[in-house]
Amino acid sequence: MDEGRSRLRIFMALIVVILGILTLRLGTLQIVERSSHTGQSVNNAVREWRVQPPRGRFYDREGVLMVDNEPRFTLFVTPRYFHEPTLPLLASLLERPDSLLSARFRTAAKNPFQRAPIQADVSFEELSRVLEQRHNLPGIDYEITQKRTYLTDARMTHAMGYVREISESTLEAHREEGYVWGDPFGQGGLERQYESEVRGVPGSDFKMINIKGQVVAEYLDGQEDRAAKNGLDLNLTIDADLQAFAESLFVNKRGGVIALDPRNGEVLAMHSAPDYDLELFTHRLDPQVWDSIRTHKDRPLFNRVTQSQFMPGSTYKPLIALLALGVREIDADYEFYCGGGHPLGGGRIYKCLDSHGSINVIEAIKYSCNTFFFEMMRRIDVNTLHRLATTVGFGQRPYLDIAASEVAVGNVPDSTYYNRLFPRGWTQGNVMNLGVGQGEGEVTLIQLARYMAAIANGGTLVTPHLVRSMVDPETGQASVPDFPEPVRLDLNQTYLDILRAGMRRVISEQSWWLEIPSVPAIGKTGSAQNTRGDEDDSVFIMAAPADNPEIAIAVFVENAGFGSGAAGRIGSFMVERYLTGRVDLSGDRGWIWTQMFNLNSEVLPDRAAPRQPAG
Amino acid sequence: MRKRYTNLDPVTLLAWIALVIIGLMAIYSATHGPSSQFYQFNPRQNFGNQITWLGICLGGMVIALILPVRFFQQMAFPVYGITLLLLVAALIFGREVNGAKSWLYIGPMSLQVSELAKVGTVLAVAQVVGMRRPKTMDLRFAFLLVGIIMLPASLIILQNDTGTALVFFGLVPIVLFWSGLDLNLLLLMIAPAVAGYFAIVSMPTAIVFVVLFVAFMWWRTRNTRFSIVSALMTGGVVGLANVAITMVLSDYQVQRILSFTDPGAEQFRQNVGFHQVNSMAAIGSGGWFGKGFLQGTQTQGGYVFEQSTDFVFSVIGEEWGFFGSLVVLFLFAVLLIRLLQLGANIKHPFAVLIAAGASGIYLVHIFINIGMATSLLPVIGIPLPFISYGGSALLANTALLAIVLSLHLKKDDFSIYGY
Repeated sequence: MDEGRSRLRIFMALIVVILGILTLRLGTLQIVERSSHTGQSVNNAVREWRVQPPRGRFYDREGVLMVDNEPRFTLFVTPRYFHEPTLPLLASLLERPDSLLSARFRTAAKNPFQRAPIQADVSFEELSRVLEQRHNLPGIDYEITQKRTYLTDARMTHAMGYVREISESTLEAHREEGYVWGDPFGQGGLERQYESEVRGVPGSDFKMINIKGQVVAEYLDGQEDRAAKNGLDLNLTIDADLQAFAESLFVNKRGGVIALDPRNGEVLAMHSAPDYDLELFTHRLDPQVWDSIRTHKDRPLFNRVTQSQFMPGSTYKPLIALLALGVREIDADYEFYCGGGHPLGGGRIYKCLDSHGSINVIEAIKYSCNTFFFEMMRRIDVNTLHRLATTVGFGQRPYLDIAASEVAVGNVPDSTYYNRLFPRGWTQGNVMNLGVGQGEGEVTLIQLARYMAAIANGGTLVTPHLVRSMVDPETGQASVPDFPEPVRLDLNQTYLDILRAGMRRVISEQSWWLEIPSVPAIGKTGSAQNTRGDEDDSVFIMAAPADNPEIAIAVFVENAGFGSGAAGRIGSFMVERYLTGRVDLSGDRGWIWTQMFNLNSEVLPDRAAPRQPAG
Repeated sequence: MRKRYTNLDPVTLLAWIALVIIGLMAIYSATHGPSSQFYQFNPRQNFGNQITWLGICLGGMVIALILPVRFFQQMAFPVYGITLLLLVAALIFGREVNGAKSWLYIGPMSLQVSELAKVGTVLAVAQVVGMRRPKTMDLRFAFLLVGIIMLPASLIILQNDTGTALVFFGLVPIVLFWSGLDLNLLLLMIAPAVAGYFAIVSMPTAIVFVVLFVAFMWWRTRNTRFSIVSALMTGGVVGLANVAITMVLSDYQVQRILSFTDPGAEQFRQNVGFHQVNSMAAIGSGGWFGKGFLQGTQTQGGYVFEQSTDFVFSVIGEEWGFFGSLVVLFLFAVLLIRLLQLGANIKHPFAVLIAAGASGIYLVHIFINIGMATSLLPVIGIPLPFISYGGSALLANTALLAIVLSLHLKKDDFSIYGY
């Protein structure tokens, strides 16, 4: 074999060896170490975008869309890949001041590789302009967010709640439910209570990004993407028209109202005044605005429907009557003499508004005769009252499907309470004020409304709730949230008839201006002493129609005087509006309507400037 | 009467066409994929340019096939001279691209003259070897060959294009091998380079290599002096490399040299190791069959720089996977071995040297280029033959191939122009 042949072989072997080395190397990279290199390449080039689904929409009981979503966009910048001289271009496309964007960019540029929002709340039109120029704007990308929009006049501020970006502490508590930084989270009201239902399931969009952080294409043509699942729509029990009407009545008034369907506990309207505009919370909230809301002396953040605790005043009298009848201290014919005050008071305390003479229980309710009810309370053990009051829901935390911590309990005193209050001992005289709903003890609007509903519906303590059903918008499948069962109270129907007869006369005779034309109603007014200001709180409960009630309402106006004034009028007009669809202002009712707007809550002094002693 | 030539080799031609088409696909993917909308003008025109250059190459190949054998032999020295002049011209008038002053602009055309110099050098070497008689190998002749190669190489080093110069260094043992240098001497020339490589990658391996190599040389020659020389040369390089890395070279230079051994390491990945980290991520994530044409996330995201030129293999590795890489390596193997066979067939030293020189130059390119893309070797910027974007390189590589084809087509003419 000649030398040339052998060298040819050697060189061919060299070729095979070198290409073999490369083959081995490629095999190591592409087969043995594949997964780690795949991880590296995915880390580099594939980014997951979280797709926020639209939150569930809210409909009122008639199917009117109250709360919807609108897509908004947030622009992000990755400073490392952004070309700073293009900042004015971006600013002009967004029609925002250069200085604003460059300030944000400088803040973001401290972490060059960290993607940071540079402009939130961008509309679709603005985004389109930016995307047209995206080859000139490396390092800019966007995410879709959903913004709440409120479509009716009914704001329902407190019951609705609002949506904010999840806070750090909330995120820690809810991380296991799949929340991540930047997710929306319901704050207060329905948005919080039904967060897990309304939220939906966020989806994922996998996109290929290039080395400059620009989105190049769908990753694997979108095979890996997970579609977002819309949240459940809520069908509310609220009547949007009645709600908006209620809100319009609380001009210059602090207070609240809740209207229930006494047959099933559905909340027809629920308003706390003053309120604030939820629209504010759909944008970045100016700290000054937030501060002014937070510190306002009228406390707009305070939900007076669920949290206000006040003395029930004369609205308590039907309960006392029921109790007196139940323990057989009296019967329907029993009469007691009112000479303008209870004898024990000696004319100075335990006073009545008038001298009613000898009156029975029905008349006593009608006239709201203090003397009669002082006498009843003189004869009843305070613990007996505690038992009955607790049975009808006072002093108990009422269920309402908004965050439980927001719902106040009230207070029904018993003998233990008085032992603590009067350590040196007390007599029946000390508790007689309870007979007229004054003194110790506090109730809430929800408790009053349930109590009214129970009297009207024959003794069923309903469960107030705001949601009728939850509907999956994709499948149309409806479900009903779990509420506690209503409680059937063992009340004597004859006694309830007596109560209703008295309460009917309150409306038809005593406070005749509260009578709704063509709809017989029952109700009771109350004026409750308070420590807030000089004027009494105006309290009112009502249910109608009297024989087959469809609405029970409880109204409370702070420092506005007699129950038959501000609260009574608001309640009466709301019930009329709900039952007849209109407000009949012919005759005296027109004057009553006009006057309602003059019966305002007493203006409180500024908290910032405490009252100075005179002189 | 006209002579009929029927020896046009289809295997070489088909392998060449297949490689060029694979190259065009890779360049297209790197420049016209979904991400291309973000590119500036420059990378996008690479594909069109390459097609233009391919047209020029095809024309050149036809001409080369028509030209007589004598023409190549007669033109060998003039071509060598012209390439030297061009190299000097590039040094004086050339424009700097990526730090290397090796480009000449002639109208709309840009020429990387260092690529063309390969053709001239191979022709000149082949002509020198072909003219030599008798066929003995003495040291003076060997120095002449080395000089012919080192002259353009040093000009290219002056142009600051070390990568291309390295190919010329690689040409030295190949040429000496084919011109009949003693194998033992040849091994002695190559061994220090291998020892130096191991000294950088892993010191124990380097020491084991030195011991094994000396033992091997002793076994081959039974010559004590020769063995001592081989021990001194390989061991010396290992020692020198160690001293250079620890004492002489600056930190930055050491990092550059060492980075390829672990480009993903904390201190390298954002700077000198960046190319290789991303190239390995691209190739490694390709798996068995790749992510598919235009589907490579690394490629389409532009994570690998120079991905249509020096790092073009990352596109193939990512989008066509291990399978696609094997196809490319197989085509190269076929082409390289076939070229050697053609040269051997012609049975004339001039043709043998050109065929071996072409094959050897390709091999050096392939090893360094793919070795760099897979982090087997440090980053050395030279293209992958027939696949990387680059007109001058395509033209030079195709020219060598075309000359071999032409010589083979007319191999019977050699007898006329005997010595």
